[in-house]
Amino acid sequence: MAAFFRSKWSTVGRSLSGSLSNISDGLLKSSNEVMQKMTSNIMLHQQQRTFIQMRTKLKCVDNSGAKKVMCIQPLKGKKGARLGDTIIASVKEAQPRGKVKKGDVVYGVVVRAAMQRGRCDGSEIKFDDNAVVLVNKQGEPIGTRVFGPVPHELRKKKHLKILTLAEHIA
Amino acid sequence: MRLEKCWFCSSTIYPGHGIQFVRNDAKIFRFCRSKCHKNFKMKRNPRKVKWTKAYRKLNGKDMTKDATFEFERKRNRPERYDRNVAENTLKAIKKITKIRADRLSDYIENRDKTKKSKVRKEAAKELEQSIHMVRAPGAKENQGSLTLPKIKVKVSQQQTEENRAMEE
Repeated sequence: MAAFFRSKWSTVGRSLSGSLSNISDGLLKSSNEVMQKMTSNIMLHQQQRTFIQMRTKLKCVDNSGAKKVMCIQPLKGKKGARLGDTIIASVKEAQPRGKVKKGDVVYGVVVRAAMQRGRCDGSEIKFDDNAVVLVNKQGEPIGTRVFGPVPHELRKKKHLKILTLAEHIA
Repeated sequence: MRLEKCWFCSSTIYPGHGIQFVRNDAKIFRFCRSKCHKNFKMKRNPRKVKWTKAYRKLNGKDMTKDATFEFERKRNRPERYDRNVAENTLKAIKKITKIRADRLSDYIENRDKTKKSKVRKEAAKELEQSIHMVRAPGAKENQGSLTLPKIKVKVSQQQTEENRAMEE
């Protein structure tokens, strides 16, 4: 399935690039260059934030022992996980003598996401980084502390334990 | 329900509007619209951007101290509902906003006035101090020593005709 998509995308990309080069050969060369410069400027300014998807690396903000985890499967949503969603992750970096080891497959709740998420009143919220709190299959946190701010939307997702452990609730 | 202030432009954020950014040290930055959010992302200082409240207050464009501002306060204790109080408050809001608008327009009028009078005063002072550097425009002609005596010279007609011929 994935291979099929990749091949499709590559063909599309090739055709696009080909057409672009054709245009740039003609009179429109200068304007094309200007456009490219502009887009690159915008890209430098603001990175497009997206969903937490397969291979997204997240910081682990509890004392379970993991430092960095990599998302291997978002449990909800087609495009990926967002703020408050649960993911399956693999531990990439861990502290020695922690509760989890490097290479463990764990469940985690996304407590901070750089991509904005709509709130119930219509406003939006976003955070500095992508962070996760490791939980077991029943949704109870593995660690006993949670660092940094967490959103109050976790209450709706029934992660009350994380909310009570958190330092700040935003 | 709470009406927050925009971090960048200090305007009121009504529920359901804007975006908020939570930094890792749990400081919350609220923005009323994408314009303010973008300006924040560009790391602009609201004190240096002319359309913000912070700039206007810092540079004396708006009122900073006024009794009408003190009604608007962050209260952490919810008020118990009382019909009479609510009615009076609703009446008072209209009055207060009117008073505030009047005072603001007065302030802006006087602000420009003081500026004009200041400029005028400074100009008068400079004139007084350095009047010796300039003379009245007619002073040179009245003084005999500075101008040459006038001599009348007769010019013949022929000369002028020759000149015309040369020109042609």
